[in-house]
Amino acid sequence: MKAVKKVLLSLAFPVLMFVVMLVITMNSDRCFVNGRNIFLGKDLFVQVAINSCMTICVALAIWLQLKNGRFDFSGGASMVLAAIGAGYVGQHTGSMWAAFAVAVVLGVVVSIGTAIVYIVGRLPIIICTIGMTLLYESLTYLLFGGQGIRGFYSTPALSKMGRMPWVLLPAVLAMVLFIVYTYFTASGRRGKILSNNQSAGVNIGINENKNVFVSYIFSGLIIGMAAIVYISQNDVTPQSGLATSSIMFSYIVPVFMGTFIGLASNDVIGIAIAAIGMQIMNYGLNCLNLGAGGWQQIIMGIFVLGFYTFSSQSEKIAAFLAKRKAVNA
Amino acid sequence: MKTSKKFTALALAGIMAASSVSIVPVSAAEPKKTTIGVCFYQDTGKAPTATKAFLESLSDTLNVEFKYGTFTQTDEAANLTKVQELIASGVDGIIGTMDLGTQSILSECEAAGIYYAGYLCDFDTSYTTAYDDVFGNPNFLGTVTDGHNPDDVCIGNQCFDSLIEYNERNADDPITHVSLAVFPSWAFPAQTAGAEQFIADVDEYNKTAENPITVDPLDEEVDVLNFAPLDSTYFSKHPDTQAIISMAAGTSFVYPTMVSAGVDSDIKLFTTGYEGGEEKNFGTAGTQTYQQNVVTGVETIVYPLVLMLNKLNDTEFADMPEQAERISTEQYIINSDEDMETFLGTVYSTGDAADAAYTPEDVLNLTAFGNPDATYADLVNAVQTLKF
Repeated sequence: MKAVKKVLLSLAFPVLMFVVMLVITMNSDRCFVNGRNIFLGKDLFVQVAINSCMTICVALAIWLQLKNGRFDFSGGASMVLAAIGAGYVGQHTGSMWAAFAVAVVLGVVVSIGTAIVYIVGRLPIIICTIGMTLLYESLTYLLFGGQGIRGFYSTPALSKMGRMPWVLLPAVLAMVLFIVYTYFTASGRRGKILSNNQSAGVNIGINENKNVFVSYIFSGLIIGMAAIVYISQNDVTPQSGLATSSIMFSYIVPVFMGTFIGLASNDVIGIAIAAIGMQIMNYGLNCLNLGAGGWQQIIMGIFVLGFYTFSSQSEKIAAFLAKRKAVNA
Repeated sequence: MKTSKKFTALALAGIMAASSVSIVPVSAAEPKKTTIGVCFYQDTGKAPTATKAFLESLSDTLNVEFKYGTFTQTDEAANLTKVQELIASGVDGIIGTMDLGTQSILSECEAAGIYYAGYLCDFDTSYTTAYDDVFGNPNFLGTVTDGHNPDDVCIGNQCFDSLIEYNERNADDPITHVSLAVFPSWAFPAQTAGAEQFIADVDEYNKTAENPITVDPLDEEVDVLNFAPLDSTYFSKHPDTQAIISMAAGTSFVYPTMVSAGVDSDIKLFTTGYEGGEEKNFGTAGTQTYQQNVVTGVETIVYPLVLMLNKLNDTEFADMPEQAERISTEQYIINSDEDMETFLGTVYSTGDAADAAYTPEDVLNLTAFGNPDATYADLVNAVQTLKF
């Protein structure tokens, strides 16, 4: 019974989002083509699935470090660098699997580079990762003639991991890696202590350096998953001026929403559910012709703000409801 | 245009170009050592790479050193700063690709005593709102447009011709239903005009056509791309479309959504621009998505370059117009496998200056100091014959 309740609570967000968007689109002439509501077309499933997979990979990479008390700005640059390497190898070998392998290996190598600089340099994490972001971004102008990778995503044999059903593979692997790290490694379990109080954690004997190293290996693996999806869906051009952080943070909303939704189950499921819910909302806004530009930002901003407000006040709301229930009883 | 016609035109263009640039100089002067800054609209990609390669090949013959920078499409202050940096580095002139902050930029150029000219940009904002300040400014030398000027639109006709050629090649399975994609008219009025031109061409064609073509009306909310990729719901909103006619940069803004939605094998794309890699899915290759790309040859930069070098070498064409001008260019309209094969051999695609339409000596002969018989008309002709 408890498990069923958890499942229902977890699914409540995307179901609610679907119902709300359905009601809105049913009442908008813009959404009807040839007498059919396009929100209910098969594209809903395909687009939501494809976009959610990318979001899940990046969001998990962000959350893995954030959960350990580190706000890592370099994730986007690591992903772009890994994607460029993967795209180059994929185009020269004609193999999707070679590209996948290179994305994962580069994701780990680049992340370990960040970890080493953080450990050896003893820098604040923000300073360290912004510096590494600038370094990695500069490398995008040097690798393979500084032209980025074009045309990988438009080669069907190479870009299967950007399309259904293969796109599910990196997303599922990213979730499995996150679960393995969080629940089946000592570093993962100790991470919560370090994020709550770093000094206390170190004082009770937790080796932070080891924790950093292991966590970056796992986040590198997840970044590799994000990189193969990214290169399979986009041309990747050289980046500068912390533009990669912007790419990364465009996927951050489901991280915070997911941690709240995940209270009913766990954070991995919460993030996945939040990503799906947000993509349903995006698709609905697209149907309403509000999928880009100012109105999308306004609607999204208000929604996210409202959600965060609700989640931060949820305990007070629960207490208030419990109090009223007690009074009525 | 049939392929044979195209190659006839190419041959004619070659003869015209050759006749205009191969005149032996009567008494050529040695060019002065000059430095010119060139600011592109992006720092990577086929066009900037090919343009740089072409310019570098001219460096020794024209005795000019080039410095490169990048303008933004949105930040006037950033462009002004870039100009100030180039001036501080000692350039004698700047070629820019963006009409943003032009009056401020020209003020800086005037103060520094250097020249400014345009490349791949129609300077339409300045042309329509500040003509005297910009085109009447003695330090502004003119610009060469990326295709036709807004008052001389032909992109709609080009797309229509490509569509009809496709249908003639595929008479058993012609395209009979198309939809459109354009950038906002406040930014690119020529694209909306081009779309209207295309619709008018189709209407005229349908009067006698065996297989009439349906064009979905231009929907302001769906078909106008606010510099963001096509919405994923575009295909639901145009359920019967067999081809997208994108006046906007379809490679960057339309094609990714087509791939993501999995319709790239079913729907054709007729668009402008070429980013590299389109050939894999062009014509009869790959998914056969692309059926038209349109590109302006990078060699058109000789227009602002030659005008600037003339000024810096204290020479002038005898027929030089009093006011600075903006010049339309003909373009490479790639709409068949043969066109694509030919295009892949150009400097735009290879990035090798040896594949450029003009050699350094050709360009020197276009200048007034390198060839006293050279004329402004020859120069304009040289940039308007770069087509198939």
